[in-house]
Amino acid sequence: MFRAPFSFRAAQLRALTDEALMERVDQADAVAFEVIFDRHAGAAFSLAYRMCGRRSAAEDIVQETFLSLWRRGGRYERARGSVRSWVLGAVHNKAIDSFRHQTATAARDFSDDEALGELVAPDLTDGEVERRDEARQIRGALGGLPTEQRRVIELAYFGGFSHTEIADMLELPAGTVKGRMRLGLIKLRLSLGDRQSAAGGVR
Amino acid sequence: MNRDDCTGDAAAYVLGALEPDEAERYRRHLDGCAACRDEVAGMRRVTDTLLVAVPQYRAPAGLRRRVMHTIHARPHRRSKPARLAITAAAVAASLAAAIIFAQRPAPAGPAAQVRTAGGHAELSVQHLAPPAPGRIYEVWLERPHAAPAPTAALFTVNRAGAADVAVPGDLRGVRMLLVTEEPAGGSRVPTGRPVIVAPTN
Repeated sequence: MFRAPFSFRAAQLRALTDEALMERVDQADAVAFEVIFDRHAGAAFSLAYRMCGRRSAAEDIVQETFLSLWRRGGRYERARGSVRSWVLGAVHNKAIDSFRHQTATAARDFSDDEALGELVAPDLTDGEVERRDEARQIRGALGGLPTEQRRVIELAYFGGFSHTEIADMLELPAGTVKGRMRLGLIKLRLSLGDRQSAAGGVR
Repeated sequence: MNRDDCTGDAAAYVLGALEPDEAERYRRHLDGCAACRDEVAGMRRVTDTLLVAVPQYRAPAGLRRRVMHTIHARPHRRSKPARLAITAAAVAASLAAAIIFAQRPAPAGPAAQVRTAGGHAELSVQHLAPPAPGRIYEVWLERPHAAPAPTAALFTVNRAGAADVAVPGDLRGVRMLLVTEEPAGGSRVPTGRPVIVAPTN
């Protein structure tokens, strides 16, 4: 049987949706899996790096996530919706788990000597531009929050700290942190809702 | 549930910031409180989008090499016995399901017919469960060798599980109509498995 050259096949596969690719991954199609990896590994690594602050730890988490996706094949949980949501959700959970195994909060700070400059992509595909544009808008909405609200949201969601830990760190009364989280998320929901309805309600 | 019982912990809960015992209490509260469940769902949509609200980097080349090396080294990731074990478990589960269903009137699975006229199509569905709250059914056009194309045909079903849906768009080359459940407002790419696959003939 004629077998298309590897790169030609990859190019064809790149036209498929994630769902269609995952059906092939379920049949142990490694090339389909490479396409999935190339679509989502950047966002996965970026999230893991933001949460761990260390490149090696971030790479370990992303590697584990994708190998787990490979092993699951088409049986990855669809409850979270898209493949991208699954990947990012898995990275988030793994990073939080890794924090739970560390006691020293110092291990979670964001100092890193390794230069990431060379990783910033100079040439973006259309899809990547769109995604980065989306990320930029969401970052804008987050940046538009009052600092005290943004800070508690970031410490909890990216840092894995509980509201009592955050209250200790920032020397705030117990209920205040929860209140700031609530106000911040409500504001984000409003600003993202505006953005989504402006884009025709499409996610 | 009385609204006064609601603790306002939805934000801290979706951010994973509640202490373990608080989170457990809040989960129990959610079981009985639809208003808080809605609030949690809305806030979770926000936190899901936050996952991309970080500076974006390209994945390191070494990471890609390591992952690909691992999967190419083990192309058949599930051994035969494991597959058989899964199959046996699935058979047991479906037998259990069959026994449970046997005690009730047998539900008919979803069915669909497509009528085409003048290059347009109308899709009739029967026996389809209503979509989950906040979600909707979306019709897609599938052509060979192409990703399913979204249509503006978003619909739900009546109490009998039936709907007649006019499908806008050019049907040339379309082999199948697919229906998936999507977030209200529809999606640009399908996010779930098709619940209906109807050949256009």
